[in-house]
Amino acid sequence: MDIAFRSQKPAAVEVQDLHVRLGGNPVLRGVNLRIEAGRMVALIGPNGSGKTTLLRCLLGLQKPDSGSVRLLQEGPPGPGILKRMGYVPQRLQLDPSFMLTVREFLAIRRPLTASWFWRPSRQIDALLHEAVGEMDVTRLLDRPVAGLSGGQLQRVLICSSLLNDPELLLLDEPTAGVDTPGEADFYELIAEVHRRRRLTVVLVSHDLSMVYRHASRVFALNGVICCEGAPEEVMNAESLRQAYGIHFTPYQHQHPHSHGSHGH
Amino acid sequence: MDIEPFMLRAVLTALFLGPLCGFIGVFVTARRMSFFSDTVAHAALAGVALGFWLGLPDPTVPMILFSLVIAGLILWLKEQTVLLNDTIMALLLSGSVALGMVILSLLKGYRGELDRYLFGDILSVGWGDAALALVVLITVGSVLFWKLNALALLTAHSDLAHVSGIPVRWLNYGFVALLTVTVALSIRLLGIILVTSLVVIPPAAARNLARSLRQQILLSLFLGLIGASGGVILSYPLNLPSGPCITLTLVGLFIVSLLGGRLQRAHQNAP
Repeated sequence: MDIAFRSQKPAAVEVQDLHVRLGGNPVLRGVNLRIEAGRMVALIGPNGSGKTTLLRCLLGLQKPDSGSVRLLQEGPPGPGILKRMGYVPQRLQLDPSFMLTVREFLAIRRPLTASWFWRPSRQIDALLHEAVGEMDVTRLLDRPVAGLSGGQLQRVLICSSLLNDPELLLLDEPTAGVDTPGEADFYELIAEVHRRRRLTVVLVSHDLSMVYRHASRVFALNGVICCEGAPEEVMNAESLRQAYGIHFTPYQHQHPHSHGSHGH
Repeated sequence: MDIEPFMLRAVLTALFLGPLCGFIGVFVTARRMSFFSDTVAHAALAGVALGFWLGLPDPTVPMILFSLVIAGLILWLKEQTVLLNDTIMALLLSGSVALGMVILSLLKGYRGELDRYLFGDILSVGWGDAALALVVLITVGSVLFWKLNALALLTAHSDLAHVSGIPVRWLNYGFVALLTVTVALSIRLLGIILVTSLVVIPPAAARNLARSLRQQILLSLFLGLIGASGGVILSYPLNLPSGPCITLTLVGLFIVSLLGGRLQRAHQNAP
């Protein structure tokens, strides 16, 4: 058997030559991406780099103009594959007039608890027990989802995505609504889930600081994948300049070097 | 005690439609669709006028059909244009009211009918309407319960619903159709102008007291039932149109729920 072939782990995500135009503008211009199964990786890029579009393609929410997406070695995102994936959105569109509690939100996601409306809470709690304990949301079960803080909501969203035991977890700007002290705890929690469950985790973010500590591999996107590698390789100035290009805006990342010599 | 047959028909219709409006209203308010409900209700005026113009004795069917056409147009314009929701709905609301008024003005002798459609009239509720209300209660109510999880998830986050395998587009269309039929049918009791109150006030009042979605739905069903039937019963001795009576009963219930909610919280916070 070919040695190179054997050394490659199976891919959880394989994207080939993906092109997407939105409103006539090319947003993705030939994205190639291979994420090995079991890794925790970060997909970074400035606003407008196509991160959200790529994420939508991975979730089957956006049809590519050309190119292919293959997930969990099976095929494009369809109902069968989506069942094996977890998705954690940035925030919910929930109106405070909707009294959905955390317990109910978790119960509606799971077939076992489908009859939550008529079941006593204790039975539901027993069914949710494992994931609820893992994400430390037991205390939040009776709270309305619309009233949670950013950090609490993120934990609840991850908890709900873990209920169907996903092999691939996609998180969109996971710490967008989380305060700074909460951020570190949050990533520790994700790292812990990643270690324990051995799933593939993809963090999509414009926040570069977090990838240093938590991702084992980083993909920098700006219409195409400009560079990929270990965090310390990708985070050097030259590759970042490629990723952020002329659209570079300094507020989007924090790292200990200046950009004066790059002429933008 | 003797009950007049028209009163029996009206009370039964209220008992059927009140809880249904309360139930569907929980999702209407959370999905910010109150104005949508108002628009399809106003569209019914053109349906009523068209019914008279065609010489139909009972305009219920054209009323529902025309509301469904307008609901479909709202969705279609939303997908095909860059216009904002509010703009689309204001356009169709005023357009259908204008169309209805023009047709009614051209037809002689129907101007008097206008009030009973604008403000509701228990005398106009026939056995056919009561039967239709029961059928709609059973079908719409069961679909809502059957799709409760999907609807709740769609309300929370439509992409999350899609990723969870819910056919978001069809569920949206289905919900809009169910809402439109429910609202159009309730016009008999409340009238075009006030019908949205039965969809919006019960869930809002329930929200003041409920601590979970389950409680909010059950309370909203109950408040819709009390408000609609109470308003109909009050309207007879007071000799008033049923729409304002139902709406004012609902407003009364809302105020009680507001005070109740305050008391509940004060009690919780007390040492």
